Amino acid sequence: MANAHTEHGKGQLPHYPEKATLEGRNKILAFWLFLGGEAVLFGTLFATFLTLRNQTNEGPTAAELFSLPITAAATFILLVSSLTSVFAIQALHRHKVKELIIWLIITVALGFGFLGLEIYEFYEYMHKDNFGLTTSAFSSAFYTLVGFHGAHVAFGVMWIGVLIGQLYKKGLTVVTAPKIYVSAMYWHFIDVVWVFIFTVVYLLGKVG
Amino acid sequence: MTVDEQNKHQLVNQRHRHEGPQKHIVAFIFSIVLTLIAFAAVGAGGVNPAFTILILLVMAVLQVFVQMGYWMHLKDKGHMIPIIFMLGGFFVAGTAIITALSWMWW
Repeated sequence: MANAHTEHGKGQLPHYPEKATLEGRNKILAFWLFLGGEAVLFGTLFATFLTLRNQTNEGPTAAELFSLPITAAATFILLVSSLTSVFAIQALHRHKVKELIIWLIITVALGFGFLGLEIYEFYEYMHKDNFGLTTSAFSSAFYTLVGFHGAHVAFGVMWIGVLIGQLYKKGLTVVTAPKIYVSAMYWHFIDVVWVFIFTVVYLLGKVG
Repeated sequence: MTVDEQNKHQLVNQRHRHEGPQKHIVAFIFSIVLTLIAFAAVGAGGVNPAFTILILLVMAVLQVFVQMGYWMHLKDKGHMIPIIFMLGGFFVAGTAIITALSWMWW
């Protein structure tokens, strides 16, 4: 065990390397504070969307626009990616760097799959359904809320991508472990936000 | 116990056990089932809209408990401060939603 760390010659990596240093623990705590702030940010976007979701200005309505199979596929992809990032953290705790990197790569690939679906969806709305950013209050609120979430996914994909590079270069240490752990928290939080988006935007839109 | 002492302790304790994937796979299956119920409630149609919305909200809240409790470890010990942070965030978010809706429509 912990053969990944022996090249440092400082003995073994602790069992929970992300919480082994004060800096690591502080990072995790501070990240929770950040996620509390993110909840407020998305809360205000949800408030705007819920307020304006029926103001369609004679443009397409939610029930006309949305396709449940695409939403279901996007939801499934994001749920699976949350599971793979849990597996990445379990590999981290067992100090299996290769396994950790593989799970992170799968997570990033699923993130790209989600983004691809979303780009396809937005493209269809804009070009087929004439549902642009300025079509109606509903369309503006929709693109702002869902687009903000998409931007978070895009940022997460880049962030985890960079961390994979750091893992290759520096290996798993008490410095890199907290970064991986915090990025996994971020990824789960994005999944939680998506739970509300598919419920409030897509499913509620279909109900009316 | 200082961090160094803790680390030494952990080094000695070589037979330390790590949690397996089973618990997380169960949580994953549970969240897939919650998602399916939500989609089915809407896809089936013919159900009273108010009842459908209730089902959707219950599924979403349960889903958040599964994801934040199990996958973000909020149910584990020593997470009181993170829980306070998150509840604070959700409280402000909920206030914003209720305020915006009531100002405009109620």
